[in-house]
Amino acid sequence: MSIEVEKLSKVYKLKKSQKKVAVDDISFTIPSGEIIGFIGPNGAGKSTTIKMLTGILVPDGGTISIDGMNFKKNRKQIMYKIGVVFGQKSVLCWDIPVLDTLKLFKDMYKVSDSVYEENMRLFRDVLGIDEFINQPPRLLSLGQRMKADLAASLIYNPDILFLDEPTIGIDVLSKERIRDFIQKINRERHTTIILTTHDVSDIETLCEKMIIIDKGSLIYDGTLGDLKDKYKTTDLEEIIKNIYRNGEMKYA
Amino acid sequence: MRKYIDYMKIGIKEHMVYSSSIWATFLSKIVYLYMQFALWNALFASNAEKNLALNHEETIRYIIVATVLSTIMECNVIGWINSEIQTGNIANQLIRPMDFRTMIFSKHFGTTLIKTVLYCIPLCVVTGVAFHKPIVCDGQLGFGFVSIILAFIIQFLYSLIIGLMAFWLIVTWPLNMLLAAIYKLLSGSWIPVAMFPDLLGKINAFLPFRAIYSIPVTIITTPMSQENILRNLIVQIVWIVILYIVMTVTWRIGKKKLIVQGG
Repeated sequence: MSIEVEKLSKVYKLKKSQKKVAVDDISFTIPSGEIIGFIGPNGAGKSTTIKMLTGILVPDGGTISIDGMNFKKNRKQIMYKIGVVFGQKSVLCWDIPVLDTLKLFKDMYKVSDSVYEENMRLFRDVLGIDEFINQPPRLLSLGQRMKADLAASLIYNPDILFLDEPTIGIDVLSKERIRDFIQKINRERHTTIILTTHDVSDIETLCEKMIIIDKGSLIYDGTLGDLKDKYKTTDLEEIIKNIYRNGEMKYA
Repeated sequence: MRKYIDYMKIGIKEHMVYSSSIWATFLSKIVYLYMQFALWNALFASNAEKNLALNHEETIRYIIVATVLSTIMECNVIGWINSEIQTGNIANQLIRPMDFRTMIFSKHFGTTLIKTVLYCIPLCVVTGVAFHKPIVCDGQLGFGFVSIILAFIIQFLYSLIIGLMAFWLIVTWPLNMLLAAIYKLLSGSWIPVAMFPDLLGKINAFLPFRAIYSIPVTIITTPMSQENILRNLIVQIVWIVILYIVMTVTWRIGKKKLIVQGG
């Protein structure tokens, strides 16, 4: 599924008459089946944008269209199609075995038995969830928890997947497995993936395109290759630092 | 529908996770019951039963049934919603194809079922063995059960409303402490409402609290006319309607107000 965002904005009201513009008039299009790196410095408005794209927050201006549908009219339909994984917050039930959460999601998203079995096989083979499927999340390591979270969010084959820092605090080997898994899902199911991260190597391995925002405004929307050509270097980290630094100077 | 049954099971499982807390809860109820029993006996021994709405035996019956009922009426709904909102976890619930309130209700219902099995029924057996005189009015027990179910709904709606206040306040535990104190007093879970001074009794007539403990317990323990019972049940139904409307409005406004905490 594709996402079209037009002139999106969100203003937080602080104390009396004070306002903070979190997202300021941004527009972009994410075509179906792509992996997009969605980046920006802390406080740039990433989370706010993601929250609007997932229907948690209502925008103050602009429109979001997901395959022609919007949250006002087709909220429920969209919810069946999107999956969300937050690196810092688990979607799993804390005190009960991971398997119970997977079953809950199976029923919630009306997943057929055959699809469920097929996905479980995939999670077993690629993520190795068998090791910890009967344990509650509170007993899992961070890497295991992340894998369990990915499994829970993909058990119902969402068409769009939001990944918010999926590799934060995870060791190099698990990181690689998680990235491979994300690529596999994207390739085989044509899942549109929006990846927010501060880990540049995540972006280099996974994304073709990226969107950069800062202070609520859109800074860049294009391919990684074009960005590297523009700055005449292949060091992505250096480019991103440059962009953030410019942003700081502009508003200083 | 199946997802809500899953949530009911989750409610049950979550309650069963820590077995030591189950024992502690059960024992604390027995200790509390004995304390109430000793306290009221002492009060009646020092007072020659002047001007009291309930006599010694009625009072003892009342506090026994109220304590047994408290094992299922006490609920975590306010705490659940508060922590969901405070930690920002509520975002995870709002992106699911389900109704948040029905989900909370299912979980609460599951927890109540398991509490009935683990605490309520054993405590009934214990009091039945320890207290030799009849406690309940057999003829009114059926109405009593209906009244308990209505009380359960009132209690849930009340907790939901207070829990949702976190949309505005973010941190609601100071409010909870204040309300919990008022609730314990006015609902009649400590002291029979009939014993309140006139003014407090009048104020309480306009509040929902007594519909949670006082009405069902009184129907179970005190003989009264059928007309009187029905009047009490109607009072409970009216409260359900009022609280349901307030809850719906709170939810609609609160959801718009939502700012998800953190990151």
